[in-house]
Amino acid sequence: MSDNMHKYSATSGIQQEEPLLFEHAHEAPESISLPGVQGNAPSSLDAFKRKKAANIPGLSEPETVRHFVRLSQWNHGIETGFYPLGSCTMKYNPRVNEQIARLPGLAHVHPDQPEDSVQGILGLLHELQGWLAEISGFTDVTLQPAAGAHGELVGLMMIRKCLDARGEQKRKKVLVPDSAHGTNPASAALCGMYTVEIKSGADGRIDLDELKKHLDDDVAALMMTNPNTAGTFESDIKEICQLVHDAGGLVYGDGANLNALVGVARPGDMGLDCLHINVHKTFSTPHGGGGPGAGPVAVNDTLKPFLPVPRIEKHGDVYTVLTEDEQSIGTVLSTLGQSGVYMRANAYISAFGHNHIHKIAQDAVLNANYVLSRLKDVYHVPFEGLCKHECLLTDEWQNKHGVKTLDIAKRLIDLGFHPMTVYFPLIVHGAMLIEPTETESKETLDSFCDAMLEIAAQCEAGDTQALHDAPMRPIRRRLDETQAARKPVLVWQD
Amino acid sequence: MRYLPHTDSDRQAMLESMGHSHIMELFADIPSEFHTKLGSLNLPDALSEAGIVKKFTKAAEKNRHAGNTRCFLGGGTYHHFVPAVVDYVISRGEFLTAYTPYQPEIAQGTLQALFEYQTMIARLTGMDVSNASMYEAATATAEAALMARRVTRKTRTVIAGSVNPRYRRVTENYLSRLEGDYVEVGMGKFGTDLSKVIAEIDEKTACVIVQYPDFYGSVYDLAPLREACDANKCLMVVAFSDVSAFGLIESPGAYGADIVVGSGQALGIPMAFGGPHLGVFACKQKYLRQMPGRVCGLTTDADGKRGFVLTLSTREQHIRREKATSNICTNQGLMCTAAATYMTLMGDAGLATVANHSAAALDLLVSKLPSSVSAADGAHYNETVLSFESKEKRDAFIAEARKQDIFAGIPLETIEKDSDGKHLLVATTEMIEGADINDYISAMEVAS
Repeated sequence: MSDNMHKYSATSGIQQEEPLLFEHAHEAPESISLPGVQGNAPSSLDAFKRKKAANIPGLSEPETVRHFVRLSQWNHGIETGFYPLGSCTMKYNPRVNEQIARLPGLAHVHPDQPEDSVQGILGLLHELQGWLAEISGFTDVTLQPAAGAHGELVGLMMIRKCLDARGEQKRKKVLVPDSAHGTNPASAALCGMYTVEIKSGADGRIDLDELKKHLDDDVAALMMTNPNTAGTFESDIKEICQLVHDAGGLVYGDGANLNALVGVARPGDMGLDCLHINVHKTFSTPHGGGGPGAGPVAVNDTLKPFLPVPRIEKHGDVYTVLTEDEQSIGTVLSTLGQSGVYMRANAYISAFGHNHIHKIAQDAVLNANYVLSRLKDVYHVPFEGLCKHECLLTDEWQNKHGVKTLDIAKRLIDLGFHPMTVYFPLIVHGAMLIEPTETESKETLDSFCDAMLEIAAQCEAGDTQALHDAPMRPIRRRLDETQAARKPVLVWQD
Repeated sequence: MRYLPHTDSDRQAMLESMGHSHIMELFADIPSEFHTKLGSLNLPDALSEAGIVKKFTKAAEKNRHAGNTRCFLGGGTYHHFVPAVVDYVISRGEFLTAYTPYQPEIAQGTLQALFEYQTMIARLTGMDVSNASMYEAATATAEAALMARRVTRKTRTVIAGSVNPRYRRVTENYLSRLEGDYVEVGMGKFGTDLSKVIAEIDEKTACVIVQYPDFYGSVYDLAPLREACDANKCLMVVAFSDVSAFGLIESPGAYGADIVVGSGQALGIPMAFGGPHLGVFACKQKYLRQMPGRVCGLTTDADGKRGFVLTLSTREQHIRREKATSNICTNQGLMCTAAATYMTLMGDAGLATVANHSAAALDLLVSKLPSSVSAADGAHYNETVLSFESKEKRDAFIAEARKQDIFAGIPLETIEKDSDGKHLLVATTEMIEGADINDYISAMEVAS
């Protein structure tokens, strides 16, 4: 291990082992006390009673707290340290957002309460709907999709319905650049459409000639991410949209990378027809170890008639929920959407306002370019030029010392950082996609870059054992993923 | 701006180190015609933290909520008790602010919690395996229908009319762009008639979807359905709205369900005006590789110690792309942690208490109904349909109850469009006390 470990922020302090809760070796204590009608279920349910208990252990309150607190200490989160995951946008999650989302008048509201009893929360959701449209440059927004990939599906459903309304049922081809997120083709398939991959040009951008080759009477849509997953802006965006429209198709925007543009430029102005927005990325709602997120979709006038229901409208000072709409694609979730997530997004935008919101993109792009400029002489940069809010490197120069992206990633863990996104985008070999976001200080970025430079120097010196052995410091070392997949064990057997 | 750590001199130094003098030079690759004039967006002025708290407090105070009313609303979302420990655990930054556990060595906390969640959900629903959650119940139901198509290579979906109409609408919507039949079986009055469902099954049927307890809270014997599914080689999919039921009544797995889907919101997750909630998805071991969504699996590390990873990713969109089991690339991770914490606190005994109190409250309410109001027949868990003499009488009751801060139920036609306006869907949980029921019945008497 490195002698100058103190330079970095990792700790190797107290690490407790903690058994599975099923392994705690005593019987369940007296059950938790609960309010309510202290009686037994009606006798009509006797015939249906559970014959065997579910065998859920039941720990006392102090044991439960200790169990989960210990588990939490094995996690890296954005509150624990730097999280430069490209394409994922892990930024600081303001604590006031958590506080306001838990106000009883927002957290304990039933979705089927009468409209006059929920005017406050409807107002906040409607306000956010309008702000998202304004920020993205579109006409209207649906808050229903529960996640980014769900937003993709909803966007494509609207495109499908729009084409059907034009009498163009035949159009079933969705063009997807090879740098796209894997959800794009999967979403298209769910809409009964098929995808054709468009190869990126030598600069990592969409190649107009390549695009033209695929534009014909079958084209339903182009799904594009801009800035793309290589971190570069598709500067030909106007022409790209024009070409697709001229061919009779629509342009779907994967809004995963809106953080690079917020307050500075608007996808809706560039000719896109719709865009999903990952609110957990751009608007700081916490990711929770895998969710919840939310994937609202913004649309232009072309797609507006097809928005899903229910959706919130304002008439005078009164908010109402529209449940039916003639051309709507229908309903895609049980409720209006992940309201709790939207409260946090609303609070984040409120904190910036029109006067500061562009600083999100400015600092995010500044930080990404700064990291790139500090690392570009020691790590291979596949595409030259400015990057947007994330920068792409590869392991090409480290390969000759037998070191791969995965080794670099795991070594970063020992040095106190969450690794960058690895092996994505697929268009470059050994990809490392780094996204610092706007909420990191120069001190943190310098510390991360120092760690990356140290790793590169170790490679050059042929001192690579620590890289192959990494990580050494967390509670568990490299985990055997093949074994997990070959003989899947998803539940505990006593 | 308080969330941004840079000073202007930091920014200037960083720019100069890259040979730039102005920050907008970093946006030169965006054509100038698309540059928004900075500060020109139609958004309000920035708020201070105090300003944010004030704004949201004011809005929250405009809402009535389960804390200052008596909530008899169900229909898919239920006001169950959330112990303080649950919110404490999921508020810990290490759970709250972590990403998907793609680097398992520094995500063992999330991963072990997911593994524990999967285990407890499998046990509660009586199934072999569970995934690490779906968005919510309606999309989970739709995904179950899609999974059945993959497993059976057949394309006909039969769904009982007593499945929550919202789950039916979403499922129908998901299937509408794919080839195959979608058949809804009309049910008659507020319950499930399995013989009608069974009559619709044929050899082209991929799955039959029923709800248990059904949308009206009705509980019935699922055994005949298993036989019919076997006879036609189709999958038996059982949906549910309030998972707390399985603390008391027999699990869908015990009846031989192939796939079980539903809402886990009852497990320590606030109603939050509809979300985020928790979609539960469990199935038999033999269908594991066709199950959508993320799963956490047990393995060992380089030192031979037990550990956990996300696994079976070869089914997923980032590998299989258009051939993936679904387009889903997220789950409700934090909600899984909440549910795991809740179930750990409750244990079998606590879950049984929740279920008993919830069912007992409904029983008490129904026993006190005046003769002018009838409840649906048969065994019910914690939800039923009350029928009034007329829409006017029902609405008068709803209004009277409202005066006493009681949300009396959901007018059925708001969820089930073709229902006439005489019916009220009413639900009870352990949060409903005897006194609340007395007030409910008094309001009914005042209104009549």
